[in-house]
Amino acid sequence: MAGSIEEVQKAKRLYMFIGLLLFFFTVVTVAVATVESLDFGGHGFDKVDAIIGLSIAAFKASLVMIIFMHLNHERPLVYFVYILGIVMAFFCIALIGWAKDDPIRYGNPNASDGFYNPDKPATRSVH
Amino acid sequence: MEIPFIVNVRKDTGLINSKVGIWLFLASEVTLFGGLFSGYLFLRLYADYPWPERALPVLPGLINTFVLIGSSVTVVFAWAALKMREWRKFQIYMSITLVCALIFMALKGIEYKAKFGHQAVQIDGDGPVQGHEIVEGHVHYAELDKDGQIHEVDKERKKEDGVFSANRIAFKASELSFVLTRPSHEAYVKEILKQAGDSHTITLKEAYRVINEDELYKGDLNRTELLESENALIADAGAELSTDVLDDLEDAYLDARSHDRKVRTKFLAASWDWIRDEEGIDEAATYVIEMDLWKERRKEDGEKLKIVTLGPVAEVTFTIDPPLTLVLKPGDLVKVSDVDIKLRDDTVAKGEMLPSPIIMGVDALDFRHTAQRAEAEELDPFPVIEQTWLLTHKAHHGDEEEGHDADHRNEFKKIWDCHMAWLKAETARLKTKGREPSMNDKFRVNWDQIIAYRDVNEELEYDAKMVYEYASDPDDDLVLYSSGLFDLKGFAGANHNEFDFPHLEIPRNKVGFESTFTPRWNTYYAIYFTITGLHGLHVIGGALVLGYYLFFGRKMYDSNPEWLANRVEIGGLFWHFVDLVWIFLFPILYLM
Amino acid sequence: MSADATDHHDDHHHVLPFWKKYLFSTDHKTIGIQYGLAAGAFLLFGFFLMIVMRWSIAYPHEPLPGYLSWMFTDGWKARWLDDGKVTGETYNMFGAMHGTIMVFLGVVPLGFAAFGNYVTPLQIGAPDMAFPKLNMASFWVYLAGGLLMCASFFMESGAAKSGWTNYSPLAGYADRQIVNQFLAGQTQWLIGLVLLITSSLLGAVNFITTIIQLRAKGLTWMRLPFFVWAMLVTGFLLLLAFPPLEAAGIMQLMDRVTGSSFFMPSGLYSATDSAPMDISGSGSPLLFQHLFWFLGHPEVYVLLLPAIACVAEIIPCNTRKPLWGYKPMVWAVIVLGFLSFIVWAHHMYLTGMGPVISTFFQTTTVLISVPSVILLTSMIISLWGGSIRFTMPMIWAAAFLPMFGIGGLTGLPLAFNLADLHLHDTYYVIGHFHYVVAPGILFGLFAGVYHWYPKMTGRFMDNFLGHLHFWPSLICMNLLFFPMLTQGMAGFHRRWYNGGEGYIEKGSEGVNVFGRTVAENISINEVMTGAAIALAIFQLPFLINMFISYFWGKKVTSDNPWGATTLEWATPTPPGHGNFTFDVAAYRGPYEYSRPDHDSDFFPQWEEPKRDAPVEEPAEKPEKEAPKA
Repeated sequence: MAGSIEEVQKAKRLYMFIGLLLFFFTVVTVAVATVESLDFGGHGFDKVDAIIGLSIAAFKASLVMIIFMHLNHERPLVYFVYILGIVMAFFCIALIGWAKDDPIRYGNPNASDGFYNPDKPATRSVH
Repeated sequence: MEIPFIVNVRKDTGLINSKVGIWLFLASEVTLFGGLFSGYLFLRLYADYPWPERALPVLPGLINTFVLIGSSVTVVFAWAALKMREWRKFQIYMSITLVCALIFMALKGIEYKAKFGHQAVQIDGDGPVQGHEIVEGHVHYAELDKDGQIHEVDKERKKEDGVFSANRIAFKASELSFVLTRPSHEAYVKEILKQAGDSHTITLKEAYRVINEDELYKGDLNRTELLESENALIADAGAELSTDVLDDLEDAYLDARSHDRKVRTKFLAASWDWIRDEEGIDEAATYVIEMDLWKERRKEDGEKLKIVTLGPVAEVTFTIDPPLTLVLKPGDLVKVSDVDIKLRDDTVAKGEMLPSPIIMGVDALDFRHTAQRAEAEELDPFPVIEQTWLLTHKAHHGDEEEGHDADHRNEFKKIWDCHMAWLKAETARLKTKGREPSMNDKFRVNWDQIIAYRDVNEELEYDAKMVYEYASDPDDDLVLYSSGLFDLKGFAGANHNEFDFPHLEIPRNKVGFESTFTPRWNTYYAIYFTITGLHGLHVIGGALVLGYYLFFGRKMYDSNPEWLANRVEIGGLFWHFVDLVWIFLFPILYLM
Repeated sequence: MSADATDHHDDHHHVLPFWKKYLFSTDHKTIGIQYGLAAGAFLLFGFFLMIVMRWSIAYPHEPLPGYLSWMFTDGWKARWLDDGKVTGETYNMFGAMHGTIMVFLGVVPLGFAAFGNYVTPLQIGAPDMAFPKLNMASFWVYLAGGLLMCASFFMESGAAKSGWTNYSPLAGYADRQIVNQFLAGQTQWLIGLVLLITSSLLGAVNFITTIIQLRAKGLTWMRLPFFVWAMLVTGFLLLLAFPPLEAAGIMQLMDRVTGSSFFMPSGLYSATDSAPMDISGSGSPLLFQHLFWFLGHPEVYVLLLPAIACVAEIIPCNTRKPLWGYKPMVWAVIVLGFLSFIVWAHHMYLTGMGPVISTFFQTTTVLISVPSVILLTSMIISLWGGSIRFTMPMIWAAAFLPMFGIGGLTGLPLAFNLADLHLHDTYYVIGHFHYVVAPGILFGLFAGVYHWYPKMTGRFMDNFLGHLHFWPSLICMNLLFFPMLTQGMAGFHRRWYNGGEGYIEKGSEGVNVFGRTVAENISINEVMTGAAIALAIFQLPFLINMFISYFWGKKVTSDNPWGATTLEWATPTPPGHGNFTFDVAAYRGPYEYSRPDHDSDFFPQWEEPKRDAPVEEPAEKPEKEAPKA
């Protein structure tokens, strides 16, 4: 950000505000994780808590990126590079997850359709 | 020659070089941490043990989050000050940033230290799920008594000579065998000699002889005579163990082996030359015929080789007189049995295994793994837990002295009974809200619960009834130190200076897996230390760069302040990124 | 732009001491040459390892001949050779290090770092790289990493032996007996790797920034030579694909040094200690494979693109006509770069992935052949109707096309998971990627050396020695790699240290069908080994050529001896510090050959348009940078 002196002066108040906002949301993150009356979902940690926690973190992270890292003043090129990196990372994590969660199915366990099934003894002898 | 666009932006891209560079670098950092986060995700999703949820004390992490966010604010303020050409303000803000970095790393250090000193043992039991109960705590200190047995000592004496942490293998060794193919035994030999001191002598059992090469080629003597000859003697029986002696033996062995290999190689090459010359290899399908011929030839060679090689022995044995109790770290041993142990450098000690219990003060019981395994076997976890070694073993002292035989329970069973009482009350309380206790609530007894169960009774005895009364009374809660977020007694975990925790001796054969809370203990701590460690390195790196601008930036400020402002902006971008990573690390490591 | 201009240009530079000028230089050209020499040395070393391995494959019972074993000491031989024969352990060690050295220490630094460093700034009219000091650091970090990896050959543990892919749990377990883990080859491999990755990242940041920021006036994106485009895409591949491997490397390092279990599953049992391993378990070996191949596949294109880039520069110059389909090629290389990120799991069809995800990766893998074919076809069509000058670089470039074609097409069966079930981990795979890398990529890079040598030194390389290098290399490469394809289809496994000899004995009894196919194909091992040794011998003419041409080669008569159009030929020969002696600007596209409206058959990018010619303004007005305070 190659702003003039006035702009910088003005931006300082914004930085202060964003800093306080970040403090506030940090407290919120801890509160929803530790205070029982603010525990969403089931008792203790579960999916709902994970989604809330990560959403708050993502919101805080975007505040840091947009305001502190001056993304609001940069050209689209920078957005492109940065978002490309993030999207790639998420996409690839998703692909790994998919690769781990795509089981090999061995035919029909009830009917003998000719496919190999480790749970059932082979009906035809193989030599 | 000057490189353009260092200070002023290039028109069509609107950027200076270093900003393009740092953004690219940050993109690569995103994929670096992306790789690590994917590691976290998949290790957690596919863990075959109960993942430690919310296992870390929150307060240090929370303070660190505040510190880092604060430093992010001050670093933009420092940049803004430079933009407005206020050097003094720049100095102040940048100094605060660096102090923040320092606080962050100091807190990290406190957390790490608490983990390194905290021991966990997974107990190997019998029954359908082989126990798998886990105790956590601090290892006590011990020394060897006159009979060479491990004997617990007071914590105050931990700095004294001969006092060691009570997680050691004690082995009464009478013989040591070294493998000479391994070129260096220095580390362990030094340790063994230190433990032997002056009271034990370690001497070579039999003379080590290697046939002398020159004498062999003279051909005057037969092999027995060669071995008996004066030149063949490397070290005589009774030579005292030292690294020098071992080095001599190793050199002699390696030289002789090298000689033998050379001779054998020559024979091998000659045998192939013979095949190539005698039996033309051009004919079809000769491969198998060739191999048969060659094998025959090799048999003949074998006889000749027996005569022309030196044949050194690869192992030397030393006797220890009188037998010495070696005290070794479990990690130094690759194999343990009642009569011999093997060190990592393949050195074998023969003798007798001594009782080598882990002695510790226990600050948490964890039956989640037991429960998980029981549920996998479709068993009710609670009876399985009742049968574990931890809850059924007989304590060595304490109970019997009091004389009344009403209570045969060991201390941990008492704690568990209190916990069951608390769980009953807690389940009832949660039920009114339509909820159920979690895995953690049910099967883990945390350090503050142990203290609370004990403190409930004025005589400081575990009293299940009173625990139940307190827990089910909405006005009178148990004192749980960790839920009071700002109680500094449990700042970095269980505080063994403040509280007295129950004492446990785990016989070595009951130890399934033991480790301090280091990356070794489980994949959660592995990823915790790796990510936070790498993040810590980023903090240090960033602080060094920002510190450079602060302490050595004045010259550039005088000559080209805009350039310095640009540099601080670039350093700041990196700093914000470090902050950004922490914003994600804090919830996933501390709160989830 | 003659030699005088250089002197004039150097006037305002003080003379640098030797170590600053040649050793710790920040000049991109010196660093490029440093990279080239270091990578060349590593390539030769990796090649040597391969010949030892091939000897063991062809003659598993014979001791290494003197010309292969002379460089080992007696003690080393006694430790690692069994009566002069290569042992399985030594073969594994050499195999792992051959792969590592060739990929990470040889071809990538030669293609991307050496050529990229030397040529890219010249081609975009820049005075140097954007961050010269970073550039220097990048080289030294690379060298440190490489030497660290190779130093472990002399340690008790020997060098890494778990394959160049370093899969856990094997790689997590190997060398556990070493008390100080930092002295274990397997650990040093990881530390070396982390250093190499760091070096590549610094390099990638530098390249991309340079290309984005330091292009000369008028050098718009579509006026960039294809070489620069290829380097840009390669830079992005390195930048985004390498860090996950760095993460994996760090995690594996933790596994080895701190005893953690990132990639070590539960229930491992050590046969040597006859005891369960003393680790916590619950790690995921597949995670390592994912992270490794997430780099591993883009890495293939990191190897390939610089070679294609060299060829794409040489072909138009020697056919005297524009590169056919420049724009499609640019788009193809961008698409190629993008797709290369989502094909990695085709290396992992046999890890128990289900059919749905296999189909996804099969589809993307087949898709990525489209841009590759666009690149290759465009270059082949570029030959059409050209008046081809068979200069030394052109001969190599011409050989690159069919050789890389074979390499690429033999990859197609591997993309299909059904065919891959049979071919996985056989010599077919080895044959496929060696066709891509050796006669493909290395030929492209050789072409580059012959092409830019006159610019680097001011002298041509010798033609006779060049031919003596080229023809035997071409023949030997094919004799070496083609039989691999047939052997692979016969089921030869890629990690047999004795060439399959263990199976032939079973086969001789006539019961085992596999034994018979092995028996039928095993004798060709000797031909392949002979070809490998001959190939090594015929690299000598090249080394001699490089050396003597530097002193006695034919001198160039102009700064643009090939009559090329791109900006690097506008510099003095060799280029001085700061490269250009005039305010360089680009007025047209990179491949303006045989333009009917121009009097010579090439119209360089930097030549100002004549007054009466149609107006060819720079796409943007030249702008002067504001003077610095």
